Amino acid sequence: MVEGHVTISNLEKVYESGAERTKAIDDLSLEVPSGEFLSVVGPSGCGKSTLLYLVAGFLEASSGTMAVDDQSINGPGTDRGVVFQDYALFPWRTVMGNVTYGLEQNGVAKEERRSRAQRFIDMMDLDGFEDKYPKELSGGMKQRVALARTLAYDPKILLMDEPFGALDQPLRELLQDHLLDIWRDLEKTVMFITHDVEEAVYLSERVMIMTRHPGTKKASVEIDVDRSQDREDIIMSDEYTDMKNQVWQSLREETQPEKQL
Amino acid sequence: MDVSNKLSFDRTDAVNAGKSVYSLIIVLLIWEIVTQLGMIHYYFLPPLSDILVRFFEMTVDGTLIYHGYLTVRRALVGLVIACTLGIVIGVLTARNRIASWFFDPIIEVGYPVPVIALVPVFLFWFGTGDLSKIVLVAIGCFWPVAINVRNATRDVDENLIWSARMMGTSDRQLLRRVIVPASAPGIISGIQIALPISLIITFVFEMVAGGGGLGHIEIQGVRTFDSVQVYATLIAIMILGFALDRGLRQVRFRLLNWT
Amino acid sequence: MSYANLRLADVEETVPESIQRPVRFLLEWIPLFIVIGFWEFASGVFVPSVVLPPPSEVASVTWELLVSGDVLPHLQISLFRVGVGLALSISIGVLLGVGMARSDPVEDFFEVFLALIYPIPKAALVPLAILWLGVGTETAVLIVFLACLLPIVLNSYNSARDVDQNLIWSAQMMGMPSWKIPLKVVIPATIPSILTGIRQAIPIAFIALVSAELIASNEGVGFEILRYSEVGAYTHMFAVLVIISAAAFFAVRGYEWLEQKVVRWT
Repeated sequence: MVEGHVTISNLEKVYESGAERTKAIDDLSLEVPSGEFLSVVGPSGCGKSTLLYLVAGFLEASSGTMAVDDQSINGPGTDRGVVFQDYALFPWRTVMGNVTYGLEQNGVAKEERRSRAQRFIDMMDLDGFEDKYPKELSGGMKQRVALARTLAYDPKILLMDEPFGALDQPLRELLQDHLLDIWRDLEKTVMFITHDVEEAVYLSERVMIMTRHPGTKKASVEIDVDRSQDREDIIMSDEYTDMKNQVWQSLREETQPEKQL
Repeated sequence: MDVSNKLSFDRTDAVNAGKSVYSLIIVLLIWEIVTQLGMIHYYFLPPLSDILVRFFEMTVDGTLIYHGYLTVRRALVGLVIACTLGIVIGVLTARNRIASWFFDPIIEVGYPVPVIALVPVFLFWFGTGDLSKIVLVAIGCFWPVAINVRNATRDVDENLIWSARMMGTSDRQLLRRVIVPASAPGIISGIQIALPISLIITFVFEMVAGGGGLGHIEIQGVRTFDSVQVYATLIAIMILGFALDRGLRQVRFRLLNWT
Repeated sequence: MSYANLRLADVEETVPESIQRPVRFLLEWIPLFIVIGFWEFASGVFVPSVVLPPPSEVASVTWELLVSGDVLPHLQISLFRVGVGLALSISIGVLLGVGMARSDPVEDFFEVFLALIYPIPKAALVPLAILWLGVGTETAVLIVFLACLLPIVLNSYNSARDVDQNLIWSAQMMGMPSWKIPLKVVIPATIPSILTGIRQAIPIAFIALVSAELIASNEGVGFEILRYSEVGAYTHMFAVLVIISAAAFFAVRGYEWLEQKVVRWT
């Protein structure tokens, strides 16, 4: 598979409001090879969500270039799918309606839409809830609907903005493993934003640590573990602990100044 | 500001307020006894039974039905015009820079004007017929609709718009497929706020200018010292107000079963 | 937040800082000047100026009425009616709302009456008020009171019912006798919603006032509007309309200002 390769070079994002200029991202270059699972961690306010929304095409870069498979990013596109922390489901559509929305927009025939949506609804263990509205679902289920909705129209790249941040620990772990299965089965490139070191290290092949304000790439840690093992075995292993410490140490240097303020 | 929450006690539904009806029965009984005994002057408070008899007579001979029809027609036609204009301008103001620049200050200044005070001038401009009432109702109801629609449309969650766009929704489709459904609760709230205003303007206009309608026959009761007619008309007004309010709530409930 | 501000900000930055404020003010209010300008132009061209007096004339008559003081007694009586009606609806509405929220017998007794009054547009009660109280201040006050009662009852009811149970428990824990709790805990916790209710009630109060004065009054601004229109003095009528609109506008703004000053903890 050669699709879903993200290239970012010398990216800069400045927010302007009136006379005030805030630099959110400064001179950030990054390469995400196709099929990679990359997590981005950083202290709060470091611009990691901004980075994600820039790649999604929701925000415009102040300077620098971003491209997917050599095609420069120019607004949102169906090659990239975002999963938001607050789900951003359409409340007036049922589960089925939400999952078929993207297919509808891309001219897939009605029967085909339903069968494709059903596949992802089943994959997310949501069968039986097709006709429910989002308000009738728990947070974990909403996030699974959001994931199914994004997967249904088959973007090459998944952009995830702290998707499990609002969920409790057991549910989080469940969805994390679910996500890993999907990533392996469907061969997507994933950019995963989180502030949780444990989550980043457990999920990804590589963790990028961002600096505090303005955000840029500080370090990058390769996570090399044998993923055929169970969660407990992975977490207990020395090499895993080692890598987690590396990320944590690096992140700590960034959070330190905040305490002195 | 959500009207449906604001306007309903969770348990207070006139329909199922059965539990507290005892207090109503007590008050109505006292009313009947006190007035039958002549303890209150007939003119101030006629016996309830007399009022109900008159209400029945005026319904059967078609008086209340005809005048009720006049009132409802004026109020609703005006309300529909106000909603059409208010929704278009509200959405436009929320989503378009130039419209926002133009209409925001106008809405700011127009909203607090007690439009009801224009009754005399509309009487002079358009006469005592339906036209003057309908136009004034439309103007009076325009502001709450426009301001609620504008705020609701402006406050549509940016993430919803983003997620629609990432799934391939074009700018033109965005309005119909995302912005209007997402702001529908606010739009209907605006209409719910405007409904009583449309009735108030209609009643006051009918009382000041005549031309038929429930407001007219109610004030006529005062002028002819026929207080029973005032009370009987008020019962009709109460039923009318209740029916319209319920109707609109039904619409809300049907359209917004997802909220 | 709004698109308008973004756009205006661009323009503002191109002018020297010292005149940025007046420039912004002008830019924001240009649409209003356009409307007024069109009205000025239309009056006397498309429609006779007797029918639609030009704003310049309305403005000068407004000024005249204020300077000569002709309108002030009427404004005073109208504001008095709004004030008394509102004060009554606040004091009774809060008691009723909090009482109904915290006590089932009170709720059972009153809720049916509120449910009955609620669907009646309050202006339709003016004739009834005339029957009882005659034409004048009492009628206007009653209508203002009834019109404002429901928003205040509903707001205080809903929030008094949802008062954080922890607040009540901690008051009890600190030894507050239970009869003091409604006054010392529930009402203070309900104040923000009561204030919201009052803010919603102020514009309603002015609508109710003008309705009552148009139908049943010998003085007050609503009566003045009707009187001027009956003698055909439309410019004067518009001038009084401007004055009452300004009063309503400043009542809401003044209230919001006061609310921010007084209740700093919300």
